Amino acid sequence: MEFIYRFLKKLIWIYAGMRERISGGWIQKNSSRIREWELMAYAYSKSPIGVIGGLIVFITFILAVIGPMISWEPYWEYKIVINETYRYMPPCLPPSCSGSPLLGTDEWGRDLLAMSLYGVRISFVISIVVVLLGAPLGIILGLIAGYKGGLIDEVIMRLTDIFLAFPGLVLAIAFASILPQRIRGLLESNDLLRAFFAGLFGLREKEYAQIAALISIWLAMVIVWWPGYARIVRGSVLSVREMPFIEAAKLSGLSTWSILFKHILPNVISPILVMMTFDIATATLFAAALSFLGLGPQEPVPELGFIISKAGYWFPESSSHVVIYLGIVLLTMALGWNLLGDALRDVLDPRTRRAIEYRLEKKEKRG
Amino acid sequence: MSIDLRRRRSVGDIVEKRLDLGEGEILRVKDLVVKFYTYAGVVHAVSSVSFYVKEGETISLVGETGCGKSVTTRAITRLIESPGRIEGGSVLFRRRSGQVVDLLKLDPETLRQIRGNEIAYIFQDPTSSLDPLYTIGYHIHETIKAHSKNAVKKETLKKAIDLLRQVLIPSPEVRVKNYPHEMSGGMRQRSVIAISLSNTPRLLIADEPTTNLDVTIQAQILDLMRKLQERYRMGVILITHNLGVVADVADRVYVMYAGKIVEEGSVEQIFYNPQHPYTKLLLRAVPDPTKRIEKLESIPGIVPSLINPPPGCRFQPRCPFAIDKCSRVEPPMIEVEDGHGAACWLLEKK
Amino acid sequence: MGLGSFIARRLITFIPTLLGVLLVTYLIAYAIPTDPVRAWVGEKLMNPQTLEQIKAKYKFNAPWYEQFTFLMQELLTGQLEDPVRHRNVFDEISERFGVTVEVAIIGFLFLVAIGIPLGLLAAVFKDTPLDFAVRIMALVGSSLPAFVLYYFLILLLFVNIRTTYLAGIPEPTLDCKITIASLPQTIPVIGHVAAAFGKVPMFAGIMCGEFNVVGDTFRRLYLPGLALGLLNGGFIARIVRNSLLDALSAEFIVYAKARGLRRLSVWKHALKNAMVPVVTVLGLNFGGLLSGAIIAETVFNIPGIGRYMYEAIMRLNFPVIIACTFLVAIVYVTVNLVVDILYALIDPRIRY
Repeated sequence: MEFIYRFLKKLIWIYAGMRERISGGWIQKNSSRIREWELMAYAYSKSPIGVIGGLIVFITFILAVIGPMISWEPYWEYKIVINETYRYMPPCLPPSCSGSPLLGTDEWGRDLLAMSLYGVRISFVISIVVVLLGAPLGIILGLIAGYKGGLIDEVIMRLTDIFLAFPGLVLAIAFASILPQRIRGLLESNDLLRAFFAGLFGLREKEYAQIAALISIWLAMVIVWWPGYARIVRGSVLSVREMPFIEAAKLSGLSTWSILFKHILPNVISPILVMMTFDIATATLFAAALSFLGLGPQEPVPELGFIISKAGYWFPESSSHVVIYLGIVLLTMALGWNLLGDALRDVLDPRTRRAIEYRLEKKEKRG
Repeated sequence: MSIDLRRRRSVGDIVEKRLDLGEGEILRVKDLVVKFYTYAGVVHAVSSVSFYVKEGETISLVGETGCGKSVTTRAITRLIESPGRIEGGSVLFRRRSGQVVDLLKLDPETLRQIRGNEIAYIFQDPTSSLDPLYTIGYHIHETIKAHSKNAVKKETLKKAIDLLRQVLIPSPEVRVKNYPHEMSGGMRQRSVIAISLSNTPRLLIADEPTTNLDVTIQAQILDLMRKLQERYRMGVILITHNLGVVADVADRVYVMYAGKIVEEGSVEQIFYNPQHPYTKLLLRAVPDPTKRIEKLESIPGIVPSLINPPPGCRFQPRCPFAIDKCSRVEPPMIEVEDGHGAACWLLEKK
Repeated sequence: MGLGSFIARRLITFIPTLLGVLLVTYLIAYAIPTDPVRAWVGEKLMNPQTLEQIKAKYKFNAPWYEQFTFLMQELLTGQLEDPVRHRNVFDEISERFGVTVEVAIIGFLFLVAIGIPLGLLAAVFKDTPLDFAVRIMALVGSSLPAFVLYYFLILLLFVNIRTTYLAGIPEPTLDCKITIASLPQTIPVIGHVAAAFGKVPMFAGIMCGEFNVVGDTFRRLYLPGLALGLLNGGFIARIVRNSLLDALSAEFIVYAKARGLRRLSVWKHALKNAMVPVVTVLGLNFGGLLSGAIIAETVFNIPGIGRYMYEAIMRLNFPVIIACTFLVAIVYVTVNLVVDILYALIDPRIRY
């Protein structure tokens, strides 16, 4: 695990070098912060769970980027049109078998392994974007509610309550059934947007109707995603707000926004980062569940949850290999983020870091 | 050059060499060693500490925060939690029955019967000592119940009210049903004292009982403890870093530094004739309220890390009088007058 | 003071939340550009006259707030009708809700039975392989898509060893149902409550002494419950472990030992203090069981509220969507209330 520490350390210093070039003296001014980052990198490299999680996330990331490019079978070609026997072919593992697709085929006779490469891209993009859009929304609302207090707080928190009381899946289902028409119209008329989203999901522009369904799942999830963040951030802000350094910042005439983002946010960010990491896993599963219910894209888009739901009709007679293999793909994708989050929780906790600091010092003295 | 272990002895040893307890003594701690095995390394929290307590007597352990006072007293009834470990020494205790036992070798059940019954504690922070989910009355009830099987709730409740009255809590009939959060800090500390006294212990160990309180309440609590001690003829070990409190209530004083006792003696001996440089500096650091203070005295330097403590005298890095020998060899306890000793090489010449 | 006013105050704060949920549901429904009536009636039966009738009935030509107040009136007076099935929505709901409650209860039992003992063991055997195994179980459990586990379990326990079946729902005998339905007339207040509970087949079975219904229900519905226990049990175990370790390292535990309390009493203090976070998480999980019911009911072919809701959404059946959302929100809010009350009972600091 030594090379991971060295690699992360290098990254930190590359970043520091960039900051230094923008504004001179940055490294000197922030030396304790850099030290803290190095410690985190060290603590992370010492956690097997975290390293495995990071590795899985890295591999899924690579697969998501190159998957649709290296996939050897177009998802829009149905082999069963040629020959009905291609439907749900069982896995064909060497050495006892050769000639047909390694992990079998799906309902339309498409190579399952090739389809999963498209599917990983779709799931990855959705999960990341949902969290990257939903979390900041919740964080900003939570910051404002906690810092401003009074009526604003009351209104935001009531709104949060309403969305929390709402069954998340129901809201998402409702959204997913309303939005596609509108988004479809938008994509139909705007070439640039269509090309962008098609590229993002690794699909053909022709499937803009399905892309619209994907985007509506997205938006639905963003809307159910923020309340959790708002509540947690508000709670942490309340505990930080009364601290002397915030008083000092106020007295020195800083604007509300710079107090919020420069002084309060950094103090409450660690648990949020951990939560975001866990949430990417949850979002992966949530999106798959929506597609499983048939609310996402339809044929021919090879969305993982959707292929599983189709296989469900033939389960377990002929399609158990589809459920098992794609289930494992989804499990692995989510597990990577969950493992990473579990390790980050330890790494970002100053208490565990202090203990590690000592060991690191001892080691550096020796080496 | 190694030190002959037999020379490192407490003043008490000179008086009484038998393993048995001396006349009137209820507790004798000998060569107690406690270590903590942490991530960062082995912390030598308590290194070969010895002292004794007589019946009806108040001794005081004095020292800076983190010098091992609390750990020492908690080790007496083996209240050291992992990663801490008691690694040596003996703690002789005279039970109510007159039997003398070594608490470090006692079976857990007998030790439990002694805890809270014959030896009671008052911890530093009354707020965290009390379980927030139970009333004060319940705390007293379960403390009594743990040591007498046929305690009836009705009677223990009556006893609880009586105890609360003794520690001067107003309207104890109401307060007995209060939860800790419904009381003020001073009231909570008095409740902890009442809980600790519920089985009339022979030895009371009070760990900074007044640190978190206002000065006026401090005085009240100390006064209260003195009265209760007289009534019950308890031995008291008082841990504090407040020398004013020591002068007020203690009979004898043990000065601790970095996990070791550096000086011991009666209050008069320590205050009027301090021998160890640390004690001298500590006394100078106490501001005299009758004089105008130009500058608050402090002892330069910091307490050494107890992971890899320095060889020789542990105070040597901060000591203005340190000689060559101090950094090499640990000084033994050297007796200067009857019952008064200090662990310092400077005294060897005398 | 007092628990009564505490509950009353909490109930009052729930009203705006419930109204908000309804309004948001309605606004979402209103935003749908398509013509819902078409979806209700179906293209084949379309007939301009009936179309206009239905439109007039639900005030589709009136402004949105009039529609909303109309729906609210119908909802709160219990007269709302399912326009697809032409029956009172609440009758439809009460027929289905019992099964969903059964699934939730069985799932909750599994969750508690798996999560709490594992958590206690993990705390006692902290930093051992067992502790690590619980950690991994929690991580894998929260990474596994529920529907995939459902299929795995079906493959394992239905297809291979046939320990369950996937059709029909065990019901008590007709006599039993009639007895329970007549309860409100015989006993005034308690009778109503008992009749409401009797809507759940399992409870009715217990009330009439037909325990075979309970057994059959377990056999029919234990798979989704087991899945739930496996998915979230590890997570619950981690919460139990962490809060117990927190409680055990508290100063009052050392003080309890210093007072010479017996081992059992010391554990009593630790466990009671560890309960507060556990109760919260269990409450949240119970609330989540209902929204999760949609998938479980689809895979296991259970005719419950989740399926009803799903079908309603697919057919843009607003009256049903509104009623179901209202129900789910009430359950959520009630679970929160119960959690708050348990909180107050455990921790006196919460009470004012």
